[in-house]
Amino acid sequence: MSLGNLGNILMLTCLLASLIQALYLIYPHTSFGKININYRVLTRIIFITCLASFLLLIYLFLESNFNYQLVVNNSHSEKPLIYKIAGAWGNHEGSLLLWILVLSFFNFVFLETKIKNTEFKKYVISFQSLMIFGFTLFLLLTSNPFLATENITNEGLGLNPILQDLLLAIHPPILYVGYVGYSIVLSFAVGGMITNKIDQEWARWLHPWVIVSWIFLTAGIGLGSFWAYYELGWGGYWFWDPVENASLMPWLAGTALFHCVIILEKKNILQSWVILLSILTFSLSLIGTFLVRSGILNSVHTFASDPSRGLFILVFLAIILIISFTLYAIKAPTLDKKSKINIVSKEAGILANNWLLLSSLFVVFLGTLYPLAVDLFLQKSISVGPNYYVLSLMPILLLLLLIMIVGPVSKWQNDKLTNILFSISKLFILSLAIIFAFSIYFSELKLTQITLLTLCLTLMLVSIKNGIRTNRNYSIISPSLGKSLAHIGFGLLILSVIANTTFATEKIFQAQVDDLLVIDNYKFKFDKVNQTKGKNFNAVTATFSLLDNKTVIETFKPEIRIYSNPPTVTSETSIVRKFLADIYIVMNIPENADFVNVRIHIKPMMSFIWLSIILMVLGGISSIFFRIKLIK
Amino acid sequence: MQKMNIKVKKRLITILLSMLILVIATLLITFNLRDNIIYFYSPTELQEIIIDKKNIIRVGGLVKDGSYKYSEETKIYNFVITDLKNEINVSFVGIIPNLFAENKGVVVEGVAKDSSSITALKVLAKHDENYMPPEVIDALKKNGKWQSE
Repeated sequence: MSLGNLGNILMLTCLLASLIQALYLIYPHTSFGKININYRVLTRIIFITCLASFLLLIYLFLESNFNYQLVVNNSHSEKPLIYKIAGAWGNHEGSLLLWILVLSFFNFVFLETKIKNTEFKKYVISFQSLMIFGFTLFLLLTSNPFLATENITNEGLGLNPILQDLLLAIHPPILYVGYVGYSIVLSFAVGGMITNKIDQEWARWLHPWVIVSWIFLTAGIGLGSFWAYYELGWGGYWFWDPVENASLMPWLAGTALFHCVIILEKKNILQSWVILLSILTFSLSLIGTFLVRSGILNSVHTFASDPSRGLFILVFLAIILIISFTLYAIKAPTLDKKSKINIVSKEAGILANNWLLLSSLFVVFLGTLYPLAVDLFLQKSISVGPNYYVLSLMPILLLLLLIMIVGPVSKWQNDKLTNILFSISKLFILSLAIIFAFSIYFSELKLTQITLLTLCLTLMLVSIKNGIRTNRNYSIISPSLGKSLAHIGFGLLILSVIANTTFATEKIFQAQVDDLLVIDNYKFKFDKVNQTKGKNFNAVTATFSLLDNKTVIETFKPEIRIYSNPPTVTSETSIVRKFLADIYIVMNIPENADFVNVRIHIKPMMSFIWLSIILMVLGGISSIFFRIKLIK
Repeated sequence: MQKMNIKVKKRLITILLSMLILVIATLLITFNLRDNIIYFYSPTELQEIIIDKKNIIRVGGLVKDGSYKYSEETKIYNFVITDLKNEINVSFVGIIPNLFAENKGVVVEGVAKDSSSITALKVLAKHDENYMPPEVIDALKKNGKWQSE
């Protein structure tokens, strides 16, 4: 039996097993109700078959088995080992298989959790299996990774060189775990509604899953942004590009969701709201995948795509929405217990934060989908400039920061506004003074920027104080530490982004060897140009030295790489990270020119942007351990 | 009864107020969206519209063979974008992306000087050398010049 057939058989087994498990959603209510299916065995079969076929696919890529179309299209025998492996999921078919694997992995892990309520467990697993079934069917019908090639060749077509990057090899799987993680959240909602189990205990079970997805989504977005920063060579890290927005939308909904789960867990209110957010978050994950995979987006990140794939995801989304909303419509009257929320309380703060997050979601959604609607109905091609996002999100962000400052220090149930304001007043005044001093020194700061910066700094200081105050026993595993870290991270993120956009400078030079390039207070000397040879490319490397008087402090070696399989030219940036700013050099050689084009960016606070994302992820990790401990 | 009325009134005011805020917010966002839309034109479409020198637009098509030039004195790149029916002269100061080449698809963003020339602020590059911007494909299709490979 060929390896490809083995893969097909594995996926067919998975299809069958997930179908049987998914049918459990209906057959307790039919005459077959007596049949006892072993959900434990089925779940394990589903997971093992998915894992085995994924490993098999990696193996095919590793041995460069050009009997398979997917390997021919996406690999090359000279490719470095790690990119051969990454080639397995760096394409539509492989990434779909990975998607299914993650779906079944979450299903499997959920099976092994210590939740005692088997009825609930069975329904969650069944709904999750329904999703596995849908995607496996899609895989087998339209995008089978184990398809044998029609024209036997000895060499593959290679992998897009710009994708031959370590970070890009791990970025999609991480983002996927985030996206797919929200599938189990939706299954929780469905299972909970069927078994009438939307209560505090349910929220406690759900909580770690919501955080896990959030951690991976945050990390995935961060890595993607980091990759775009050094690989695309535009000096930017976020372009309000539709593909980026597609990952930001579930993040916004997911962030709202996990704050809301906290209220449900503590106060046993807002059941409907949590359910709606669960449905919304996974739907946005699907929409995100749809937008990226269908190729209907006009994006800088567009890869080869196919409209029929998009159609499937839309149909699938419709089915998921119909099932969950029908269920919600039936169960809604019994969901909410009591809901009286005082306007000055922690739960009101979280709720306000929810609305603000959803407002920003609306802004991003409109900006991303509006061009599509215009294209569809008016046959007019448009795009939305970044200014739209910046201007629309600014007021929302302002309010969000305010709420994030006062929310965490207020008490549950009922609090006095004067108490809250008093407890933050000193830190607020301190921040205002610091930012004010800065604004005198750097006169280009505008009032909105000063306001935002002050709020960011206040948020960071208040979160630090809060973290220390509520965490006297210095435990690393604690929800308050997690919250503080994540909030410090968010404040730092906005602060660094504002500082970065305000103070960044860039200059373009047409340089010849021995030229002196000057930007701000930095002097660079263009030393030389070399030809070098990499593993699977030829390169032109230029050397620039950063001078301090006559001594060389740093050298930069930006590169132009010429790949032959497939023939592509890429620019490799050269970045030196300083504490307060990045120096970023990228170059380019125009055809028939005797000079090189050099662009030098000075980008302040760049490292802090990445640090802030790390802080948020660490915050998530800290609270996840606490949550897992809580279940046991 | 009196108490009830006050409660209802209070609730009504809250609802009306939040609806008002919602409407204002939506209007602001929509206006903001309208102001920041960048329209895409093929060279032929650009002939048909009234040029507004303040608006940033995008123009896409093929880079005409033999039209790509660089002037060392002025440091300006010049090339011609064509949809094989009409042509647009592009001038650009900056860095031309690696994937830019004659006879390949390109999208530029900038301000039109008149119906046949544009000052580009950005020349947009794509990831993949075989990638053709969808607008360019559409523009070529509209003129019946598109040959799929």
